[in-house]
Amino acid sequence: MTDVLLQMSGITKAFPGVLALDDASLTIRAGEIHGLVGENGAGKSTIIKSLAGVYQHDHGAIHFAGDEIPQITAAVADELGIRFVHQELHLVPHFTVAESVFMGQELSDVSGLNNRKMREQAALTLSESLGAEINPRALIRDLTPAERKLVQIARALVREGTRLIVFDEPTAPLASAEVERVLQAIRRLKKKGIAVLYVSHYLGEINQLCDAVTVFRNGSDVGLIENDVAQSGRELIRLMVGRDLDQLFPTRDSVLEEVFLDVKQLSDGDKFQDVSFSIHAGEIVGLAGVLGSGCEEIVDAIVGLRRAKSGSLTVRGQKARIASPAAALRKGIVLIPRDRRNDGLFLELSVRENINIATLESVATAGLVSREASEKRARLMVEQLDIRPAETERQGRYLSGGNQQKVVLARSLAADAKILVLDEPTVGVDIGAKTEIYRQVSDLAVEGRAVLISSNDPAEILGLCDRVYVVIRGTVVSEHRSEDLTRDSLIEKMTQSTEKAGSLV
Amino acid sequence: MLFGLLLVLLAVGAPALLSATSVAAVLVQASPIAIVAFGLSVVVIGGGDDVVIGGIDLSIPAGAALSTAIISDQLTNRGASFPEAFGLGLLAALAVGAVNAVLVTVVGLTPILTTLATYASVVGIVRVLTTNRRINVEDPTVLWIRDTNIFGVPVPVLIMLVTFAIFGWVVHRTRYGMKLRTVGGNLDAAVSVGLKPRIFVASTFVWASLAAGIAGVLLVARGSGMSPGIDERLLVDMVLATFVGAAFSSKNIVTVSGAMLGAILVSFMATGLILNRVDNSWVDGWKGVLILLVVTAAALQTRRSRQ
Repeated sequence: MTDVLLQMSGITKAFPGVLALDDASLTIRAGEIHGLVGENGAGKSTIIKSLAGVYQHDHGAIHFAGDEIPQITAAVADELGIRFVHQELHLVPHFTVAESVFMGQELSDVSGLNNRKMREQAALTLSESLGAEINPRALIRDLTPAERKLVQIARALVREGTRLIVFDEPTAPLASAEVERVLQAIRRLKKKGIAVLYVSHYLGEINQLCDAVTVFRNGSDVGLIENDVAQSGRELIRLMVGRDLDQLFPTRDSVLEEVFLDVKQLSDGDKFQDVSFSIHAGEIVGLAGVLGSGCEEIVDAIVGLRRAKSGSLTVRGQKARIASPAAALRKGIVLIPRDRRNDGLFLELSVRENINIATLESVATAGLVSREASEKRARLMVEQLDIRPAETERQGRYLSGGNQQKVVLARSLAADAKILVLDEPTVGVDIGAKTEIYRQVSDLAVEGRAVLISSNDPAEILGLCDRVYVVIRGTVVSEHRSEDLTRDSLIEKMTQSTEKAGSLV
Repeated sequence: MLFGLLLVLLAVGAPALLSATSVAAVLVQASPIAIVAFGLSVVVIGGGDDVVIGGIDLSIPAGAALSTAIISDQLTNRGASFPEAFGLGLLAALAVGAVNAVLVTVVGLTPILTTLATYASVVGIVRVLTTNRRINVEDPTVLWIRDTNIFGVPVPVLIMLVTFAIFGWVVHRTRYGMKLRTVGGNLDAAVSVGLKPRIFVASTFVWASLAAGIAGVLLVARGSGMSPGIDERLLVDMVLATFVGAAFSSKNIVTVSGAMLGAILVSFMATGLILNRVDNSWVDGWKGVLILLVVTAAALQTRRSRQ
């Protein structure tokens, strides 16, 4: 039994109107990788902020290396050797890697900043502790997302005396291949005796990486799994959601009728070429490809965000030129974008306004929007999709990621689209909301719509889609029925390798 | 580069542009522009480059005018010595900087509105102070600054270089400077590494007003005193120099050295145009057009190199 490094017991924290933490406890042993999972709103983020000194807990105690810490502040946490790698990168685009690693902790001597030393140490930390060869003079804006994440991690490490690093959703913006780099880096940390607290929605990573996992639900810890974490997927889900989820993915009899979307030899002369696929009414088709494979660009071309140089698109039997999203909408094609915060949801507008905004004509007379009609529709959608909180006037920014995604989905339902295109639909969405989104998408298909899903999550593709097209470097390399594939075989095809990659669920 | 091409064009039209005297004149004219541009650069670097809420200080030329007015007034009308006059002028400029700092970081007004307001107020004060009339200065130190060359380099240019060295070193080679660049580069990042942005932002306005004070000296020397309206031309040139200068940096960001190059460019343009016998009234217009071309070309070049 290794020693306990961090002991948080009975932490309670209330905000006006909500009890964020209710007698929550968390125990991390020295040198272990400890996972923390839970739905959005379960209290994970609050307990980490309490540890970081951002919040002062109302009740409870924190012990570190055996000593009680009465008042934890950012400075205290820092001194104890606790470092945080936040979900947001917080990097300056025009800084070099070296400057970013030493941001806020610059090295200098009498003659000023010691740039050479900072470059050397940055490179050393990156290669030795994280196994990454990144040029310390490179600019942040020229790095890949995974490299930026590694730079952020290096920042936490470059100082002496690190004993615990807290990772908050470190792999959320990364593609499967890049995820592995970060996971390897974290395993190296363990070898150096540094403890890790790993917060993530990606249960597959938790299974692979962690020695122990604490599950949070409703502001408290509801379970601790210490043995056989790798096989504990279902148990984790059960603890997180509070009920057994027999199926993450709904079953469906797909009815193949007319061809709603027929793409022939589409090329944009740059990111994809000679792409052909078709989607029938009632069918869910997947474009499976790793980040950068061209799926995103193909999707953009179909909804009018990108120009196709050659090839044809036939929508419900009629040849179509889709020059803009408005044109796509007129043809009944709607995009649910991947980056909902920037491209999907209007953060300042209310849920009702968001839902109605693509289809204002249908709730307006003579150019004036009928408040009643738009409210009615909004309420219908909120109920249908179980959007929480069920308030149509709540501003978009205050909803959790999963509910924001549901609002974007609701907008397209309101637009009565016949062809739905979903681009990475559940990035950063917690498991409870994911199930609901999958159910909705499935229902949409059953009602006769054609659905195209672009994703680099193999489980998502296989769980939802009837047929899968694998895309590599802008070309459709193969077509399969989902029932003929397994997660591993799909990953192999997507990455053209025989390695097993990380994410599940 | 387009910049080079334009200079060539102007030089072809008026070969005198490349003579030693012309070059010296261009650099001397560029010096006060460069110094106020250093001040603006620091504010932009520390305050971020968002157009609406980012760091900007439009009041620097007004501060310079105030410094010029006070120095001139002290030297000519109050019989003060040069150090006394300069000290007072500098203090006045710093006071403006302090007002800006408080309004932005304590009261919380946006920099663009704040400094626009201080600009207007200070210009008004200057008018009252000088009763909108010219003040002639014949103080020997001032004349020395205006007329002397040390090792062939005019004194104003030397002052510009020294100021450049100070500002450049502080911003790019000190820990404070790096923290300042962090605050301006990504406010959230700065907060997450434990910096207190307000202090840094406040300090940028102080640096800007220091630049204004020093520029005042050069303006007194150049104009042999104080003339009404020196702030107007300086505002446009300062902003141009700073942001055109960004186009010269490899990272396409505002820098202190970029500001100096920008000031020299702006000065070259104006002089080149005049030597090509372009009508004075057209000079500003042409200046704007030419600079637009340079900056667009630089932007296109950066975009191409990023792809």
